[in-house]
Amino acid sequence: MKYTYVIKRILYSLFVFAVVITLNFFIPRIGVDDPAERYYPPQGNMSEIEYEIIKQVTRQQYGFHVSTGQQYMNYLKGLFQGDLGTSFRPGSPAVIDLILERLPWTLVLSVSTMLIGVTIGILFGVLAAVKRGRWQDTMLLNASTIMVALPAFFIALILSFYLGFELEIFPAYTDSTMVSGFTWTWEGIRRVAQNAALPVLSMVVGSIISYAQGTRNAVIAVTNEDFVLTARAKGLKQSTIRYKHILRNSMLPIVTSLGMSISGLIGGQVVIEQVFNWNGMGTLFLEANNSNDYPLMMGIMLLLSGFTIFAILVTDLVYVLLDPRVTVGDKR
Amino acid sequence: MAKRLMLLILVSIIIIPLVGCESPGHSYRPDENTLYVGTVQTSFPSAYMPWLSREGIAPTIAGMLYDSLFVYDEDSGNYLPAIGREWYYVDEDGEPILTEDGSIDYARLEEIYGDPEQEFLAVKVIIHDTITWSDGEPLTVEDIYYSFDIATNNQLSNHAGALAWTSDLRHKYTNGVLTQQGLFTYDHGAARQGYEIPMEDKDTVIYLHVNKVLGSVTPLFTSVLILPEHVWKPVVTRESQLNSTSPNEEILYHYSHPVGSGRWVLDAEESGSQQIILHRRKDYHRTKEDGSPLIGIDTIKYVLYQEINVAIYALLKGHIDVLSSSVSSNYLRLFENEDDLFVSNAPGQFTQTLVFNLNPVSSERNPMRDLLQNRDFRKAMALAINQEELIARVLDGAGLPASAGLMSASLEEFYNPAADSLPADYSTRIEEANAILDSIVPEKDGDGYRLLGDQRISFQILGSPGEQDVISFLQIQLQKIGIEVKYAAKGTQPESTYLYTSRFDMTLHGVTFSLSNVDIMYPAHFQTLGRTSNYGRLVNEELNNGIHEMRFTLDLNTKYDLIKRIQPMIAEEYYKVPLYTPNVISVARTDRFEGFRVVEGATVMNTESLENLRKTKGGR
Repeated sequence: MKYTYVIKRILYSLFVFAVVITLNFFIPRIGVDDPAERYYPPQGNMSEIEYEIIKQVTRQQYGFHVSTGQQYMNYLKGLFQGDLGTSFRPGSPAVIDLILERLPWTLVLSVSTMLIGVTIGILFGVLAAVKRGRWQDTMLLNASTIMVALPAFFIALILSFYLGFELEIFPAYTDSTMVSGFTWTWEGIRRVAQNAALPVLSMVVGSIISYAQGTRNAVIAVTNEDFVLTARAKGLKQSTIRYKHILRNSMLPIVTSLGMSISGLIGGQVVIEQVFNWNGMGTLFLEANNSNDYPLMMGIMLLLSGFTIFAILVTDLVYVLLDPRVTVGDKR
Repeated sequence: MAKRLMLLILVSIIIIPLVGCESPGHSYRPDENTLYVGTVQTSFPSAYMPWLSREGIAPTIAGMLYDSLFVYDEDSGNYLPAIGREWYYVDEDGEPILTEDGSIDYARLEEIYGDPEQEFLAVKVIIHDTITWSDGEPLTVEDIYYSFDIATNNQLSNHAGALAWTSDLRHKYTNGVLTQQGLFTYDHGAARQGYEIPMEDKDTVIYLHVNKVLGSVTPLFTSVLILPEHVWKPVVTRESQLNSTSPNEEILYHYSHPVGSGRWVLDAEESGSQQIILHRRKDYHRTKEDGSPLIGIDTIKYVLYQEINVAIYALLKGHIDVLSSSVSSNYLRLFENEDDLFVSNAPGQFTQTLVFNLNPVSSERNPMRDLLQNRDFRKAMALAINQEELIARVLDGAGLPASAGLMSASLEEFYNPAADSLPADYSTRIEEANAILDSIVPEKDGDGYRLLGDQRISFQILGSPGEQDVISFLQIQLQKIGIEVKYAAKGTQPESTYLYTSRFDMTLHGVTFSLSNVDIMYPAHFQTLGRTSNYGRLVNEELNNGIHEMRFTLDLNTKYDLIKRIQPMIAEEYYKVPLYTPNVISVARTDRFEGFRVVEGATVMNTESLENLRKTKGGR
């Protein structure tokens, strides 16, 4: 039964990915008569004849001169060969190279944020649930309310100005040589950590509170279950009840939330990266958008959606491990 | 054991990212001969082939690494020397067409080239004989020939922009084969064409054949950054073009390791997506009159900021010397009480206008838009717009009123005051506007807005979120004459979505007209229909004739007169109504360098500043 479930989930994910690939190809072409106009937007100082010549050259250059169907087939062929196309940037770099150049830097921020957020968030959440109604719990609830009202952009700017520029505890923005001068030495890693401190701090506060809130609610829900009462009646140790029975059974919603966060790992945080000059995927997407570089936008979107589909698949499979009752298409 | 392990992991997770977190503890401007320049961008380019540089800071850097033949001086209308030393229109024998005082003899030019049989204008360019590329090779006219030649040969350049720059050059390729030669050097057929070039001038003289328009030399002289033939010719082929979508290793290397003839050379090893380092070329061919270098600083380091507030704070805290990006007038108050700051509030060059869709395609016509076809109706709206108030409210006073003829009043010789014929007093203007509208649409609703039939007269103004301020004030001003306007977001592709398809009532559009661009810009803004900046599709026979005559006259004085005559025609159409000309506000620190200059239309990081910067006495 479980194997059938796993195969069904994989096939379903592949189908969704195929749909995503198709949409990813066609959506940027909607609303634009000629894709060459995206590459070379019309400029006031060109005559119609000159602009027509320019578009013809551009169409030829980027393969827009063939029919849309043929372009789609070429796109698919390229994808199967691991080719996401070439960017409109000077020098026409491969989209995949641009993504691979930025991805590690985004992962530094997002993985650090996630690890710290999940670990401390779960601890705080359990603490708030255990101390329900006391000051620890009240503080968490109040912090959640405040965080909902504060955009990440605002927190980032405040942290950059006060902890970076005014108090000089952390670098206010990324050192311009961090990426180009990076080496796999203790000093290199230390510099990355130094520069990552404020961006991670900006994101981690919200992350901790979000996980803590989720954990608190899940733990409180499970604590009221009958089997917990039974465990208590059996005279089990408090720590055994808390960690073995309550926490394990509270994991399902946390895993869902974690799965969603994993899918966001590679997308980057556009605003945070912008405030701190962090050279990651978020700013790459912004650059692509600002310069109408839609092969690059398509590449990033494809990677993001592929990763999201993968993360959801993994989450679903982990569900089965955590809760053997989970199946798909079960008509019982 | 498990608990201890968990605790260790937890502590590690928290400690590891924070272990290096401490204050940078170093000076942000360590080198005293380096000018640290902040720039607000999303990323710096990795390729510096100047023809490929279209966005962000790339064109600025390209202009520092490479030179064009000449630089256009907007004030005088002259071409100042760069690679080129001098130039002339010449007769069939290659002799300069000059008056006795050495200026262009336009009467003779007209006499020689006025004949319709004569298909082109011949131009002679003499370049400096002391120029070298940054790799030490001498720069000759063969580099000029190569640059213009490859620009016209799309099979090798694959560069759309280059085709546009050279469209007036009568040097044409068809399918990679030269079908019309319009460039002549000693080694490329000058003698055969009848142009005698002495052997000793073979590296410095080139002849060009261009279309019979005085403005046709402008893009050739000022837009085409000259490329080194010895670098590109060996690597560029039909398979591996100058602007290649799959460049080979050699081409990629040259993209990132530029060899130019400009004042600066790129430090390719230290530059990247977050910083650009330029060193001054000590062997640059042009110097000050006393023979000293044009530029007083040795190195410029451009530092990338992606967020303007962070960049401004970095400047205030002394992390950088200059902010090369312009800032909004909102920040002026922030700079007021700061020491060691130089704030440049330079007059701008572009004028923000309100454009009416006065001639939509038939499928986009409606009764409201039909009102805009009425010139008197447009005049009433123009009368209700108070530029002074917009400047005070929207720009915090950092701007100037613009002429209705859309030519900057600072270009004294070419600006025609007759274009500004509307009364100056605002209450008189409102009275006049209401009188006009009372004769066209006299009925009003309960809120005082005019009615067309039983419908309130209401228009949408396309704009970006940043333009909502100005549209709000227009709303208030136009309310005084009973016309309602509302903001409508124009999105990221307004040309394709709204402007070229006539799907708009009004829009905001920045225009810059100068002597160097009127040949191209007047037709684009007022003449050509479809896919140009003539969004509202104005058709005016008299204006068209004026523009045509202005473009094709071979007498510069006549051309200037015609430019003056065209301005009132533009103004009286009330088609692109000026709102204001915003100042360019920028800021620099003076604790290490002083001598920053305010230049019209430019930020404080301009060529004049660079030529005047010197270390501050007693500065750090």
